[in-house]
Amino acid sequence: MPMTFSKKAEQRDLFRGALEMMILRSLIRQPMHGYALVQHIKHRSNELLQVEEGSLYPALQRLLEDGLLRAEWEISPSKRRVRTYRITPSGKKHLEREVSSFERMLEGVTRVLSPVEL
Amino acid sequence: MIWFKQLWMRRRIYSDLSEEIRQHLDENIEALLADGMSREEAEQAARRQFGNVTAIEERGREAWIYPFIESLWADLKYAIRQLRKNPGYASTAILILALGIGATAGVFSLVDAVLLRPLPFPEPNRLLWISQQDHSLPGMATESLSYPDYFDWREQNRTFSGLASYVGGGATLQTTGESQRLDSQTVSSNFFTVLGVAPILGRNFEWNGEKPANRAVMLSYSLWQSQFGSARDVVGSSIHIDGHNYTVAGVMPNGFQFPIGNPAPALWKSLADSADGKSPMTEQRGFDALGVIGRLKPGVSEDQARADLSLIARNLARQYPDTNKQYYSALVKPELEHLTGDVRPAMRLLFGAVTLVLLLVCANVAGLLLARGSSRTGEFAVRTAIGAGRSAIIRQVLVESITLFLCGGMAGLALASGLVHATLKLMPVEIPRIQTATLDARAVVFVLIVSSLTGLLFGAFPAWRMSRAALQRSLREGSRSLSGGTGQHRLHSGLVVAQTAIGMVLLIGSGLMMRSFLHILSVDPGFDPKHVLTSRVGVSDSLKHDQHFLFYQQLLTRISALPGVQSASAGWPMPMSDNSAHISFNIAGRPVAKGDEPSASLGLAIPGYFATMRIPLITGRTFGEQDGLKGPPTIIVNQAFAKKYFPRQNPIGQHIQVGLGDDVFDHPVREVVGVIGDIKCKGLAAEAEPQYYLPYAQAVVTNPYLVVRSNVEPVAMQRAISSAIHELDKTVPVYNASPLQQYISDSAAQPRFQAFLLTCFAAIGLVLATACFRTRLYNAPSRLVCGWLSARNDPMFLP
Repeated sequence: MPMTFSKKAEQRDLFRGALEMMILRSLIRQPMHGYALVQHIKHRSNELLQVEEGSLYPALQRLLEDGLLRAEWEISPSKRRVRTYRITPSGKKHLEREVSSFERMLEGVTRVLSPVEL
Repeated sequence: MIWFKQLWMRRRIYSDLSEEIRQHLDENIEALLADGMSREEAEQAARRQFGNVTAIEERGREAWIYPFIESLWADLKYAIRQLRKNPGYASTAILILALGIGATAGVFSLVDAVLLRPLPFPEPNRLLWISQQDHSLPGMATESLSYPDYFDWREQNRTFSGLASYVGGGATLQTTGESQRLDSQTVSSNFFTVLGVAPILGRNFEWNGEKPANRAVMLSYSLWQSQFGSARDVVGSSIHIDGHNYTVAGVMPNGFQFPIGNPAPALWKSLADSADGKSPMTEQRGFDALGVIGRLKPGVSEDQARADLSLIARNLARQYPDTNKQYYSALVKPELEHLTGDVRPAMRLLFGAVTLVLLLVCANVAGLLLARGSSRTGEFAVRTAIGAGRSAIIRQVLVESITLFLCGGMAGLALASGLVHATLKLMPVEIPRIQTATLDARAVVFVLIVSSLTGLLFGAFPAWRMSRAALQRSLREGSRSLSGGTGQHRLHSGLVVAQTAIGMVLLIGSGLMMRSFLHILSVDPGFDPKHVLTSRVGVSDSLKHDQHFLFYQQLLTRISALPGVQSASAGWPMPMSDNSAHISFNIAGRPVAKGDEPSASLGLAIPGYFATMRIPLITGRTFGEQDGLKGPPTIIVNQAFAKKYFPRQNPIGQHIQVGLGDDVFDHPVREVVGVIGDIKCKGLAAEAEPQYYLPYAQAVVTNPYLVVRSNVEPVAMQRAISSAIHELDKTVPVYNASPLQQYISDSAAQPRFQAFLLTCFAAIGLVLATACFRTRLYNAPSRLVCGWLSARNDPMFLP
């Protein structure tokens, strides 16, 4: 149908949008390339989260396409040619929105799950 | 527009992604190696950890392809379904668009062939047309160069890598048993080098070909095929032209032609013939007849070339005041501009008119789109209600309109091809290069660009309005379809006004053009062209003066005796033909300095010429037997001449010395014996110019045109006349046979062509204006009829 413009829902290990949020959040701290992102998320989550490359690269492409990130080829400190991602201003705005709606959702879920009525 | 950019950039994006994944794997392998794994283990582990590289790359790519292609494809499919569902609307719009785009593409092909395409020579923009300016005439008329001037320019200039000369004429090619009259050019030795085209067979002309006795000839491809059966050994052989032996230097490639125009030269002769004789043309500084083309040295500008040549011209004017004092500056312009200069305004006018037609068509279809859109408000409202964004609706409508315009464009292409074909066939018109017009790849690209652009431009506004209307309706009225509000109707009225205005401009333009064309046709040419057949005979130049004249006398006696012939004679030049010669003269009793003599158009006549042409005698007498070879030198002038040079005197009995000499008569002083009426020589719209006639017997300088007035259709006489000529001499070729009427009709071909095309455009305008009112009618009732009707006609389309 002409009006179904949204992309097909992706199968994700986490809930919808979590990986994107984490990518954006990580890149606010500093620009990074793909491999470093994987390592960074693993490290930050105390090895709780294992980002699969199979999800990371398509997610990065979607974020690029949406204009939330931009990428450039650079030489890393270890003298390696890497494609470094940076967050764009609209990426920052998007992250703010997503985080706040995530927090609201989390609050709701927490309330429902909590055994005592507050 | 982001998706357009993506489309172009996608290849880059994909290769970046692959490269990035490769780097990722490498980095992982290195980390694993550092942990103490062997290389093989590390590579396997890294791959396992990463997963299926191809599949991941593919999923990465989907981010770019998916939404763009999918939605556009869906829009396109939907647009085509919409058009098929409404065949009436679709065919009307496509037909209108086909008319507009087809006419535009057709005219574009003509304009492209004539004005835009570069000349078919290497580095054509370095080729300049060269001439000198006559400062003695108002408006500084251009004047051809003479051979001595040309040689001086060729040797002294510093800005050209070569200057070549050419001058046209006829040539009689004698082969065993028959002879043939051909169009030829006499050219300088460097002619082909300057143009940058080498012969496919044989060699180029050599410099000694400019010396007498070294007669050489270059054959055109078509002559080589038709006359010499494509024989390769023709090169170096000797052929017989105009009673002389010429060595065949070579054969030019197929399609090579210069000068460009009709008729194409069949052969090119070296200067040897012009350098021969007692007072050869190559030594006469007053013989201004050459066309000159130059190839600029690399990096030299047109202005530098002009200054360079003007300096030479100034020096020559000082050095040879008798012949050159009024020519003290040079004129140069790009060859293409020279070639197309005369028709440029006409072509621009046509292109302007056809652009108006296209605008009209677009406005018309925009009206249709709007009307159609307002009947679909319900559909768009539903779409909006279930979540279609405004941009989605705009995009859909735009895709629909571009699809419609492209369909129109395709149909237009077919129409344009027919138009070009028919125009060239039905409207033979002497415009250089126009016969090469075809609907080629350039025209197809042109149509594609025009259709998409106009589709985008004229679809944009309806699309924007519909998306806005959809939003409002969905809020207010749900799916009830009502035609737009006041805004929409203002817009409609605007479109109607614009279309009417454009239609009026076209109508008035074509009316004016038609009027001036009819005016031209009603002009009296000064002679009676009906029932006259004209023809030329290629009498050999090697015949002596009196033999030449005798031949015509005998020939005319024979032709006059043919059944159906009223009278027959001969004269030169034929009115409306390209022939003309301006020769200077002196009037007895009015001495002027050498170089300041007035000049007028020369004519030649055999007794009976004026009567056969029905050119009226105003006073005095016409030529008769007494004006023969041995008679006293005489001259007849026309009214314009008499008015200009003898305003308050009787011209009869005055004496004029014409600067035309030959082996027999050396500038005799001639007595004016008659004044004849003015005739139009350069086209019906042009003023008659001062002209004088000499008796042919006293000035055998060229082959005159036979004129035969008959009781029957002139074409019917052609065969009888040809056989009369061949009874007298089997070997002379007969050429340029055509009814006199044809010269007049050819001279008006260009205005007729313009008037015809403009009238076609105006007719299209009229048709569209009617269609425009119909659109308004189509739109009107929907305001009155209840919503359910249109809703039923246009079922809601749920995704």
